[in-house]
Amino acid sequence: MKPRLIGLLLVAAFTIALAWFAPSVRTQTRPGAQAESPSAPASPKPQAEAGGPAPRMADGHPDLSGVWWGGSDIGAARGRGARGGGRGGARGGTPPPTFMSLYKPEAAAKAKTLGDKDDPTLRCVPTAFGTLNVSLWDVGAVGQIVATPKMIVMLTETYHGFRLIPTDGRPHRDDQPPAYRGDSVGRWDGDVFVVDTKNFTDNTWMSAEGRVSQHSDQLHIVERYRRVDANTLEIEATVEDPEVLTGPWTAPKQSLVLAPFDRILSLNCSGIETQALMDAAAKQTGK
Amino acid sequence: MRRAIRTAFVWSLVSIAATATAWAHHSFAAAFDMNKPVTVQGTIVQVRLENPHSWFFLDVKDATGKVERWSFEAGTPSGMVRNGFKPGIIKKGVEVTIKGFHAKDPTQNVGMLRELVMSDGTVYGMFGSQQGPAAQ
Repeated sequence: MKPRLIGLLLVAAFTIALAWFAPSVRTQTRPGAQAESPSAPASPKPQAEAGGPAPRMADGHPDLSGVWWGGSDIGAARGRGARGGGRGGARGGTPPPTFMSLYKPEAAAKAKTLGDKDDPTLRCVPTAFGTLNVSLWDVGAVGQIVATPKMIVMLTETYHGFRLIPTDGRPHRDDQPPAYRGDSVGRWDGDVFVVDTKNFTDNTWMSAEGRVSQHSDQLHIVERYRRVDANTLEIEATVEDPEVLTGPWTAPKQSLVLAPFDRILSLNCSGIETQALMDAAAKQTGK
Repeated sequence: MRRAIRTAFVWSLVSIAATATAWAHHSFAAAFDMNKPVTVQGTIVQVRLENPHSWFFLDVKDATGKVERWSFEAGTPSGMVRNGFKPGIIKKGVEVTIKGFHAKDPTQNVGMLRELVMSDGTVYGMFGSQQGPAAQ
């Protein structure tokens, strides 16, 4: 009995040690590394005091400007301060429904015919959904907002996306062909900036990372952006797609923090090798 | 007691494997054979910090002196740069050792980069993080 108890304690100790140690093993994060990044200032510091009130523009609306992220980039230890989003939101209890869990039978059947190698992002085609390029799975974790009184510009880093969102409540434009990121219009609801986006192409997925999540060109997304304080931006979204979904999907709330740098990177995308490799692997495994 | 230690050791390996799997990007798991580690030493021909993933190309001499081109897939460029991998830090002609995992397609000289070791001992991880002399 005693040796077994010692064994169990050893197992627990190993597991705890690994959980503690694993992030530093896999990231080998070096203190100060971020400070030397070309996109970060020499002495990284928040662009506003933590916990202070949200800054406001001349017209009195909250100023949403800034680079917003989850607190770290891919491959680094998870930063502190970012909350929500990610893998379905709630921890513990019943996980909230995902976009794909609301598929109609036909859409679910089609999804079964698709796999990793079909992910459009492998060919540099962006995802349709992603509040500020921050996907629900914490990928592409940096987006930038440039806010002006008449237009809010949302820039995404991973696939060079942009959205020009008028703030005066005007209707959708009629000269915009269907686009990867759709056509967006915005309005202020008190201190909340509401963005209505439609006119999507149907050749993107909702998510990246090989998560099969096709949608139709009837996709309609309403996002609500709220700068809670100087360093925090909360984003909620409701997604409709009557062609593939049985009902509206409420995305888990994203809570982002202000990054310690004020410019996203300009990054190329060429998925040639990655796509070829995925195709070859699919032939090998017969999938 | 010996059995308990053995159990703990096995659990540790399982935990490490689970951690690595969770960390790996989807296409890495789909495209590479994690049971087939590969190490090559060669001369850098090109480094491409691009989406969706970065690539390292190098020329590797085999035992007979024949040169073969290898390529290794690494992490997303934003992650690599922000984790400490400065663009241009590895120039064409530099000798490096790359440890990784071979592509599932055995006919290709392609791998997933797990570790890139410079001649001065600096080690870069898949997402640009580093340790060794240059990291000090």
